[in-house]
Amino acid sequence: MLGLMPAKLFPGVDRIVATFVRLIATGVLPVHALSTLARLAAGFALGAVAGVIVGLLMGRSRWAEDVLLPLVSVGNPIPGLAYAPLFVIWFGLGNVPAVLIVGFAAAFPVAVNTWTGVRAVKAIWIRSAVAMGARERQLFRKVVLPGALPAVMTGLRLGLARAWRVLVAVEMLTAVPLGLGWLIFGAREFLATDVMLAGIAVIGLVGIGLEKLVFEPLERATVVRWGMLAR
Amino acid sequence: MRLPRARAVVGAMIAFGVSALAWEVFARSGSLPPAITPPLEAIAAALGRMIADGTMFVHVGYTLARIGAGLALATLVGVPLGMLMGRFKPVERFVLPLVSVLSPIPSLAWVPLFILWFGLGNTASVALVLYAALFPLVLNTWTGVCGVNRLWIRAAESMGAGSGAIFRHVVLPGALPFVIAGLRQAFARGWIAVVGGEMIAATRWGLGWVIFDSKEFLNTDVMLGSLAVIGLLGLGVERLVFAALERRTVERWGLMRSARA
Repeated sequence: MLGLMPAKLFPGVDRIVATFVRLIATGVLPVHALSTLARLAAGFALGAVAGVIVGLLMGRSRWAEDVLLPLVSVGNPIPGLAYAPLFVIWFGLGNVPAVLIVGFAAAFPVAVNTWTGVRAVKAIWIRSAVAMGARERQLFRKVVLPGALPAVMTGLRLGLARAWRVLVAVEMLTAVPLGLGWLIFGAREFLATDVMLAGIAVIGLVGIGLEKLVFEPLERATVVRWGMLAR
Repeated sequence: MRLPRARAVVGAMIAFGVSALAWEVFARSGSLPPAITPPLEAIAAALGRMIADGTMFVHVGYTLARIGAGLALATLVGVPLGMLMGRFKPVERFVLPLVSVLSPIPSLAWVPLFILWFGLGNTASVALVLYAALFPLVLNTWTGVCGVNRLWIRAAESMGAGSGAIFRHVVLPGALPFVIAGLRQAFARGWIAVVGGEMIAATRWGLGWVIFDSKEFLNTDVMLGSLAVIGLLGLGVERLVFAALERRTVERWGLMRSARA
């Protein structure tokens, strides 16, 4: 603003806001945001289902725990993005590798937290349910599943945050047709720093929105209502 | 509820053995060209080659130097900032809104912009790690300082400690478990940031760069080998460095019980 730095690289706030409004009015930002969200939903659904299944298996069966836990703990610290070039070679460019990487990255925290949650179900609840004549299925549906749910929620939340982080970066690498990451990356070619910053702002807003609009109501409707978690 | 050690080891061996076997069968079945799914020996050979000619050490060295520099900067900025936020309300009121807006933005979204600002190369990667690592450190330090037991502070005051002494002997050690937890999170986030940043912004060396560069030449064996190194390093730093740090400080001072007790 003072001319210390080239305005092309460091646009003033007024320019960023103007670009932001223009991009929303012309529908560019919403279109990019929606296709990113669709990709996120698909990838996260995959990862959540896979993670919960693996976590439940590990929590309920010693055998599954012994075999799966080493794989999960080695896979967990590898950044999902590191797989991106490999997935591009395996699955081509576009939506397929992006969705798969998102699912892959999201599955690990979900699996780890589900496993912890199932193991943390109080033994006395299980014993009293058994004493009242609950069968294996009932035990699972009525005791283990709700008991593990707060931890599963934490896992889903961490998984979604991770999926969101990975997705934005993956969109830069796999040449998806539309998407916020792609918008930012493409805008660099034209030195459109105002478009880039507007895109980053949307990414931040969506990130906050996912947390506030998706998870807090979900938590209130389930674990908080059942009195398992004080809020 | 601890598993007996032998059982866990056998489980791990079965797990890695079965998945290695499955990969090997899949790779050799010829359903996909071997250039895309290299068998394990090719991966091991690529890894051995890179270790023998020393390039792997250079890649690892660059990646570790970048994340080290970024983490050090983030600690220098983040921990004092978190302490100030915890001790002085006006600082908290000024900084907290900024942190809560910036923290949910994934660090990698900044990569293209950082490339324009800092150019390709080390500066962009280090800045990326700094950005990724800063917020967990600030937030955890702040939580830690706020959570220091009031009773300890009052007890120290009544024993005649000045504010400097209270800070050094009560607040600092009291907040330390949180600071270390923050460092842990910062490392996990910085690790992702450095690998991702190197893919897009690095020019010659680094584990992220070598994966991305190998893609151009379809060297899937190098890619998978580097991926293994990334996983092992991440796990190793977490298990060795941070676990040791915790044992040396907060666990020894009795502020936190070992989770492995």
